[in-house]
Amino acid sequence: MATPAPIEVPPPNDRRGSRASQTSVHTQDEISPVGGPPTSPSPLQIRASRESSRKQSATKQPPDLSLLQYVSKPDSNLMCLICHCPFSDPLQLECEHIFCGDCLHTWEAQQAQQAQQRNRELADRKCPTCRTKYTGTRAVPKIIASMLDELVVNCPHTRAGCKWVDQRSNVKDHVMLYCEYTPVACSSFDCRHHIAQKDYHKGCLHYTVSCEQCHTSMMKKDLEVCVTDHQRTACAGRSTNCPHCSCELLRLDLKAHIKDVCGKVVVPCQGAIVGCAFSAERAEVVTHEKGCPMATMAPHFRDQQARIERNEARLEPLSRKVGILEDGLSNITNMLYPANANDSSYPVTNPLDPNTSEPFPPASLVPTPDFRLPPASFPPVPPNDTSQTPFQNPSQPPFDSQVHHLLTLHDSLREEVSRIANALTECEGRTNMMVINESQRVKDEMLHTNAAINGMRMQLHWLMSATLHQRTSSSASSSTGRAAASTSASGSGSAPTQGASRSGTGGTYHAPLRRLSDSTRQDTKL
Amino acid sequence: MSAGAKKRIMREYGECMADTPPGMKINFDERNMTKWEVLLDGPDQSPYAGGHFKLEINFPNEYPFKPPVVSFKTKIYHPNVSNDDKGSMCLGLLRADEWKPPNKVVAVLRLIQTLMIEPNPDDAIEPSIANEYKENRKEFEKNVKDWVKRYAK
Ligand SMILES: [Zn+2]
Ligand SMILES: [Zn+2]
Ligand SMILES: [Zn+2]
Ligand SMILES: [Zn+2]
Ligand SMILES: [Zn+2]
Ligand SMILES: [Zn+2]
Ligand SMILES: [Zn+2]
Repeated sequence: MATPAPIEVPPPNDRRGSRASQTSVHTQDEISPVGGPPTSPSPLQIRASRESSRKQSATKQPPDLSLLQYVSKPDSNLMCLICHCPFSDPLQLECEHIFCGDCLHTWEAQQAQQAQQRNRELADRKCPTCRTKYTGTRAVPKIIASMLDELVVNCPHTRAGCKWVDQRSNVKDHVMLYCEYTPVACSSFDCRHHIAQKDYHKGCLHYTVSCEQCHTSMMKKDLEVCVTDHQRTACAGRSTNCPHCSCELLRLDLKAHIKDVCGKVVVPCQGAIVGCAFSAERAEVVTHEKGCPMATMAPHFRDQQARIERNEARLEPLSRKVGILEDGLSNITNMLYPANANDSSYPVTNPLDPNTSEPFPPASLVPTPDFRLPPASFPPVPPNDTSQTPFQNPSQPPFDSQVHHLLTLHDSLREEVSRIANALTECEGRTNMMVINESQRVKDEMLHTNAAINGMRMQLHWLMSATLHQRTSSSASSSTGRAAASTSASGSGSAPTQGASRSGTGGTYHAPLRRLSDSTRQDTKL
Repeated sequence: MSAGAKKRIMREYGECMADTPPGMKINFDERNMTKWEVLLDGPDQSPYAGGHFKLEINFPNEYPFKPPVVSFKTKIYHPNVSNDDKGSMCLGLLRADEWKPPNKVVAVLRLIQTLMIEPNPDDAIEPSIANEYKENRKEFEKNVKDWVKRYAK
């Protein structure tokens, strides 16, 4: 027996067929990475642009306030004289007449157009009611605006089924955001129809179908929306007879009737899951079940089964979680002991270190290539068990020994550090000593050098004074300065060499000398 | 025609129904609401008494910014109605530059009734009839009754 679902008859122009082929083309495009030839836009691009244009049209239309249905007749003072509706976006003229913004703008455009037809400039804008000239518009008094906002309206999509009733100021939000009946563009690319917001996800419903029973053709959209209504009340073939018990009922309810109610359908005993092989018409089965122990047990078995399934379902994420945690732990271990995989000279196990309080005998440290933990923390792992994580060894609680190991490691490190600190202090003392000794030596040497320089200075002084004395006594006493200059010039051959040799030891002495020699050189140039 | 204008026409029809001037009947077709058919009885105190006149009121697309167009489908002997197959009537508030958007159709219907009782020869579309009305009222009334008998029974 056929189910009462309506069959979908392809419409005459077979839009659905074409759409189906189109979708297949699209999937092909998505599979192949290369689109069409480079000159022509790729079908994907075309689709993207089409999609974007569709998105544009998918935007909802804001409600037209002038078309709203008011719950009660609004005050006649709130009526626009042009559109005979309560004002929407009202503007006030200088004559205090009020009109809707749109109405006034249309009026102005109309006036301008008329003036143009008569080849005249539009001189003045005039009030549509009293023909008073006006130069500008202003917002209406607050009280009028709030009176307008408080008018109670029905949703503009009341006819489609929306039951919303509220103040007019909220209608835009309702239509743009909340109303389920706001028409939006159909989700199909090649369909230009609109569909109520709430049916958007159902895909395109804009093709004709005919009711299987009464062959009334209607748009799929309508059938979808009021399918129950049609089949319950309107459909000519809405009633049918049960094929089993031949009682008359609505075609719509037939499935449920056969599944759960009909007494003539052959069904198995409830205890079938436990093993009862009895199966007969429902009425008979009911009497059988009263005496069948397996049927009595069946609900319990079903409960148990359900519980086991629930537990299994719960177990699965838990085991996954454990795996993740194990991974994380081995990561941490690897980070802590990056070299422990094949490094047998691991610091803790170093037998030469006397500070190590090694709790495990070194025999346990047989290096196995797949160590994942420090060797000290667990007994030797058999090679065939290396793929398993070592934590699962029941004889050796891994975490205790791990902590223990960390503690010993910590102790040894601490002692190592203190030893290094001692060595450092010692080293520092030795270096200090060495520095002091060295500087003492340098100081002594400098003293020696200074003494030598002093001696040389004395000598030089004595030599120069001796020469001067000789000169003054031999030549005229009037040109002493010149003579001095010439003597220094004569001695200038030796002075620079002296300066150069002294510059390494004592800077204080060579500066005046250098200056002296400089001046003498200048003098000789002149 | 905008939805707003259609709504206004609907509302005006509602108002006319609620407050129809006496001696008038309006036929309104929802599918073509821009064309109203009005059946008008000649006012008792006028020479048109006893006649039944059929009028058409056409709303332009620009309504209510442009006036509705009134035309007598029944021939009538009147200085303000053109004596042709159009039977157009164009004066007062029905003139494009006189028309104001706040005006209503009821006002137009009342104007028509007033003009039947008292034609306006100074704003006439048929000067000869206007002349006759001004100078030879007897002859005018006789012609009116003649036309009523001939066309408006
Ligand atoms: Zn308005
Ligand atoms: Zn005004
Ligand atoms: Zn709504
Ligand atoms: Zn569609
Ligand atoms: Zn049907
Ligand atoms: Zn049955
Ligand atoms: Zn059984």
